[in-house]
Amino acid sequence: MDDMEDTTIFSTLKSFKSLISGPDHSLLETEPAYGRSDLQKLYTKRVELEEAAERVRSHTSLLQLTQEKQQMELSHKRARIELEKEAHSSSRDLQREIDRNRELLLKIRRLEEKEEKANQALNEQMENNKALKRNLEELHKKANEKDRKLTEADQMISELKDETRRLNQKIQIQESKFSTQNLEIQALQEQLDVQRKKYKDVSQRYQNLQSSHSISTESELKMKELERRLALQEQDSVIVRNMKSEMVRLPELEREIKRLREENAFLRETKENNSLLKEETEGLRKKLERVERVMEEKLKAELEKEKLEQELQAWENIGQAAGLNIRKPEDLSREVIQIQQRELNLKQQNYTLNSSIRSVEKARAELLPEIAQMRAKAQEEQKKRENQDSLVRRMQKRVLLLTKERDGMRAILESYDSELATSEYSPQLMFRVKEAEDMLQKVQAHNTEMETQLSKAQEEAGTFKLKVQMVTAELEALNEQQVSNAEKNTLATAEEVSSLRQKIEELEAERQRLEEQNNILEMRLERHNLQGDYDPVKTKVIHLQMNPTSIAKQQHADEVEQLRLECQLLRDRIRKIEAGGGVTTDDTTLIIPPSQEILDLRKQMESAELKNQRLKEVFQKKIQEFRTACYVLTGYQIDITVENQYRLTSVYAEHMEDSLLFKSTGPVGSGSMQLLETDFSRTLTGLVDLHLFHQKSIPVFLSAVTIELFSRQTVT
Amino acid sequence: MSKTLKGITLKGSAELVAEFFSFGINSILYQRGIYPAETFTRVTQYDMSLQLTTDAKLKNYLTNVISQLKEWLFDCTVQKLVVVITCLETNEVLERWQFDIECDKTAKEGSAPREKSIKAIQEEIRSVIRQITATVTFLPLLETACAFDLLIYTDKDLEVPEQWEESGPQLIDQSEEVRLRSFTTTIHKVNSMVAYKRTNST
Repeated sequence: MDDMEDTTIFSTLKSFKSLISGPDHSLLETEPAYGRSDLQKLYTKRVELEEAAERVRSHTSLLQLTQEKQQMELSHKRARIELEKEAHSSSRDLQREIDRNRELLLKIRRLEEKEEKANQALNEQMENNKALKRNLEELHKKANEKDRKLTEADQMISELKDETRRLNQKIQIQESKFSTQNLEIQALQEQLDVQRKKYKDVSQRYQNLQSSHSISTESELKMKELERRLALQEQDSVIVRNMKSEMVRLPELEREIKRLREENAFLRETKENNSLLKEETEGLRKKLERVERVMEEKLKAELEKEKLEQELQAWENIGQAAGLNIRKPEDLSREVIQIQQRELNLKQQNYTLNSSIRSVEKARAELLPEIAQMRAKAQEEQKKRENQDSLVRRMQKRVLLLTKERDGMRAILESYDSELATSEYSPQLMFRVKEAEDMLQKVQAHNTEMETQLSKAQEEAGTFKLKVQMVTAELEALNEQQVSNAEKNTLATAEEVSSLRQKIEELEAERQRLEEQNNILEMRLERHNLQGDYDPVKTKVIHLQMNPTSIAKQQHADEVEQLRLECQLLRDRIRKIEAGGGVTTDDTTLIIPPSQEILDLRKQMESAELKNQRLKEVFQKKIQEFRTACYVLTGYQIDITVENQYRLTSVYAEHMEDSLLFKSTGPVGSGSMQLLETDFSRTLTGLVDLHLFHQKSIPVFLSAVTIELFSRQTVT
Repeated sequence: MSKTLKGITLKGSAELVAEFFSFGINSILYQRGIYPAETFTRVTQYDMSLQLTTDAKLKNYLTNVISQLKEWLFDCTVQKLVVVITCLETNEVLERWQFDIECDKTAKEGSAPREKSIKAIQEEIRSVIRQITATVTFLPLLETACAFDLLIYTDKDLEVPEQWEESGPQLIDQSEEVRLRSFTTTIHKVNSMVAYKRTNST
């Protein structure tokens, strides 16, 4: 730009100078011409100069302006560049900020997720805490319940202990009762002894009675025996009488026996004769049968003979009709054999022919490609031969040329030799001659080689030709043969080929099927072998008789039987218990005692209760007796209605309700009594006053009351 | 004994196989819990610790069977040995441990011993017994009381000695079979497999 400015400045300066110089020239040139018009011209020149100066000024100002403009543009551009840089940097900053923003956002999101997870974890922990608290509460509750149960159990235990104490007390009371009652038992036992003595007397008497009984039974038995013997003796006597009567019949029987024996002997003889006669008859019958059969066979044989004669005739006629030399069947068979042999031979020939045909056809088929090959070879050989011929001709031509050259060279050499006897050129000539001779020899050798090759090629060609001719001849012969048998064999071979192909396909398919079956069967065999199967023909399975399984099975069965029996027994016992209602003495072994103390206590209780029962009964009886005795002797029935109050009812009471009530006062056993008011006592006021108030004696009062009542009764 | 010499003879091979069966059957009884674990004691064999029963009756039974089996191994007339585990209550067969024995009949009494080291055979036996122990993981539990029986598959023409009787093969209906490892002493080859009753949940 500055250069441009400089150049413009220089150019303007130059133009200015030129302008200045121009007008000077023009001024100089035009001075002498015009005088008047010089001022005008000067003015015009000044004007022009001023205009030029103005132009120059404007130009310079333009230039300055342009410079300024360029500077401005430069500054603008610089400013723009800087602005762009700033813009780039600011954009980069922006991007960086944006990236940072994104990263921060991501971080915020991650932190938020972490917060959420932490919150969730917190919630879970809270829930776990709650669950744990609940568990704790439940466990507390359970512990409380267990405590309660423990306290209850303790209470139960204390109660049971109290019960045991009470039971012990009861036992002691009852033991005291036992002691009081044992005394009574002793009294009873003394009575028992007395009773036993009586029982002994009675038993002795009973024994005496029994002995007398036995004696009487023995005597009765003896009587029975004697009676029996009597009866037997009577039977014997009867038998003796019968025997006597039979004895009388003896001689007659002896006579009969003799007669019968004679008859027997006679019958035996006749029996033997009979058997002999029977055998003879059987033999004769069999002979008869055989003879009849023989007759039948004879008839059949005669019929057959006639048939055979007819057949023979026919055969002989056949022989005569056929024209062969037949007199005997052997000839016929011979002829037949011959015919058969001929047939066999023909068949063999046929087969051989067929096989030869096939082989020939195969050979033909093989030979056809060979023929083609041969033809090709022959053609090649022909070509070679032709080539060889051409080569030979060329060679011959060369040979001719060479010979001519040789002759020429020899002529030259001879001329040289003739010319020069001993010159310096002789070695060279000799050398050349030698070279020529070498060349000649080489050429000759080459020639001979070529000739030999040629001859060989010709021979090979000849042999090939011969082969070809032979092969063609054979082909023609085969073709002729084929043509003769073509009709029969083409079809047959085609058929055979197709049938063979079909057979091959079928066999292939079968083979594949069989292979698959084989594989399947092998797999099945393997499977069965794994499972433990075996071939019963080749193997057997044995084991020890006393093996753990059988022993275990037996034990198992025995256990089951035992358990069944136990079950039955238990069921029966249960039924007995339910029916009986009490423990049977002989079955206590199976009942399991809960605890020994309680059992003993129970037993003691039961025995005590039994004793009580018995004592009560005894008491009752005794009391009844006593009361009745009192009533009878004293005349009063004394009843205890209420505690310490005694109601007396007299024997001679007029009404049932008439009774006297006494109440015992003071300590028990002292005997002080007081009379209580009753309706009946009001009627006895006089006696009461007299005897109780004045005399203070209850027995007197009571006796007075009885006398009073008795007197009343007897009066009324 | 033939074991200390180099090579395995027919007699030595029969002894090795019989020994393997004795320890193998004990392991099976212990693992399947046919007899309570307290009746077993630990012994060391094949460089591993195995369990052997102390019950006198069971020992007696096992020695009877194993001694007879040794004879038959020497004669090469035994084809299989089977341990049958039956449930006592239902009389059903729950498991069958079958050991096929293939005997090389060309190794007769007088022929030369075969080249195979005892160590290698013991290695193989060890792996078989380890595998038997491992099968417990997938065999179904035997929850009911069970008893076992030993069946021997022999040639048909073998004379059955006293105290032995013929029996059925006691197969499992609906069984799953698993083939285990085998070992060979070059004269006897033993293949192992276990068959168990398929349970309804599988």
